[in-house]
Amino acid sequence: MLFLNVLFGVSAVLTIASSLLCVFTKNIMHACVYLLGALLGVAGLYMTLGADFVAVTQIMVYVGGIVILMLFAVMLTGGKEFVSKAQKLLNLVPLMGNKWTFLIASLASLVFAGVTVQLYFKLPEFFKTVDNTEFSSTVDELGKLLITDHLLAFELSSVLLLGALVGAAIIARPRKEEVK
Amino acid sequence: MNSTAATFFTSIEAVNQAIVTLSEKVGFNTLPLVSLTIILVMALILTLVVATIGGYGTYAERKISADIQARIGPNRVGPYGLLQPLADLVKLLSKEDIFPMAADKFLFYLAPFLAILGVFSTLAVLPIASGLILTDLNVGVFYLIAISSLVGVGVFLGGYASNSKWSMLGGMRGASQIISYEIPVTISILAVTLISGGMSFGKIVGAQGGLPHQWFLLHNPFTFIGFFVFFVGGLAETNRAPFDLPEAESELVSGYHTEYTGMRFGLFALAEYAEVFVLCGVATALFLGGYQLPLDVTNLPQIPVQVIQSVVFVMKSLFLYYVVIWIRWTLPRIRVDRLMSICWKYLTPLAIFNLVGVSVWEVVFHGQSLAQLILGH
Repeated sequence: MLFLNVLFGVSAVLTIASSLLCVFTKNIMHACVYLLGALLGVAGLYMTLGADFVAVTQIMVYVGGIVILMLFAVMLTGGKEFVSKAQKLLNLVPLMGNKWTFLIASLASLVFAGVTVQLYFKLPEFFKTVDNTEFSSTVDELGKLLITDHLLAFELSSVLLLGALVGAAIIARPRKEEVK
Repeated sequence: MNSTAATFFTSIEAVNQAIVTLSEKVGFNTLPLVSLTIILVMALILTLVVATIGGYGTYAERKISADIQARIGPNRVGPYGLLQPLADLVKLLSKEDIFPMAADKFLFYLAPFLAILGVFSTLAVLPIASGLILTDLNVGVFYLIAISSLVGVGVFLGGYASNSKWSMLGGMRGASQIISYEIPVTISILAVTLISGGMSFGKIVGAQGGLPHQWFLLHNPFTFIGFFVFFVGGLAETNRAPFDLPEAESELVSGYHTEYTGMRFGLFALAEYAEVFVLCGVATALFLGGYQLPLDVTNLPQIPVQVIQSVVFVMKSLFLYYVVIWIRWTLPRIRVDRLMSICWKYLTPLAIFNLVGVSVWEVVFHGQSLAQLILGH
């Protein structure tokens, strides 16, 4: 259990600290890097729950893909010049945009709070199940579930991803006039 | 539970006895504390060993390139120039730590550490001998692919933060190259996990034998091609020639680490050489039988067997390391527009073809290898 406690402590501190820094920094490039720290921390939290496959997928998708993509996007669209100069109360937090983002964010936090409260009342049972499944391999079960119970969702998501790939290729390909 | 180096050591009778007596003396169960200490010490040793191998990679590179070009190479510091890496280290440490005025300080300092972190985190699952693996994760190979993408972030940030055109171009090339070549590499690895039926390195190595015809390289014609797809993709992921476009010295000065001096440059160089060793180690474990010996080791004493196994593993890896250096000093650099077409038009379809081929083979021949079919057992 010592391992788990140490891992949980490190991951939790990493997640919370990076998230706060990510929101409060004024440089959007730094925000991306702090986000990287937060995502790694969440991967660590998954590990403490025994969900090794999910944890590694988190690193694979977010660190290897999304954060690099965000870094590329920020760099190609101006980079660190995107710095908030807002002084008013609503806009004090940099990188937070206008009242619409605040409205959506408060709605999202309400939903999140609802889910948290629901989970909180189920906590005793929740921890029981975690103790039982601790460190058993989740890969086999995930694979079986994906090709039996959730086959439709699996196939649909693969079609969706293929569509995204084809769409990206169509957008990126040179137009006919340019080729001539 | 995932088996780790700690579970291996604490399962030895003498160590177990020592823990029990220690627990009695201190008054509480010291097993978790001892396990943690064992893991930390093992991690430190492994890191130091691989860092040394990485440092001597520079020496090997210079000696072998000198040999290929009919020169002598470093021969002044120590016998045969063997202490050259130490001299280099002293030089790098004593150099001035220059920080470009227009650079982004935080990212500039962070980038080399991200690159080092990405490489050395992969050591956690590198199977050196049976039992001598820091942690035999159930998702070992997947973890390795995932965590090594941190190197791409490090390379990109290093290029961006330097605020120099050479660095920027090198960083962008590096990141896009690493992301693209991850795909054929991952698909070739997927073919191997399909045969072995698991993603943990212990399982993959255990499914192979000590003799070449029991290796996954010669398991069937598809894995034979798959090994070369993996190796070529791996060369590109580690930014080695002929894919060393991110640091193409004839166009980009030195690419993403142009502005780095002293030990910060040294960290990038160390990350590159250590990553080449990890690549060779992974290729060995996946396709070349890993640490397997060509005899039955179940009844032999464990410690000597492990020593021989780790020697076998390191020798195979170092042979591949030699091949990597050999390729670098033989082939010219590839052109930048052909880099992406090699990945997307040749390697990726080939890797997918291999994956389908391996699946069909597994179904048709019930997982038997080519040698088993020919020899009939």
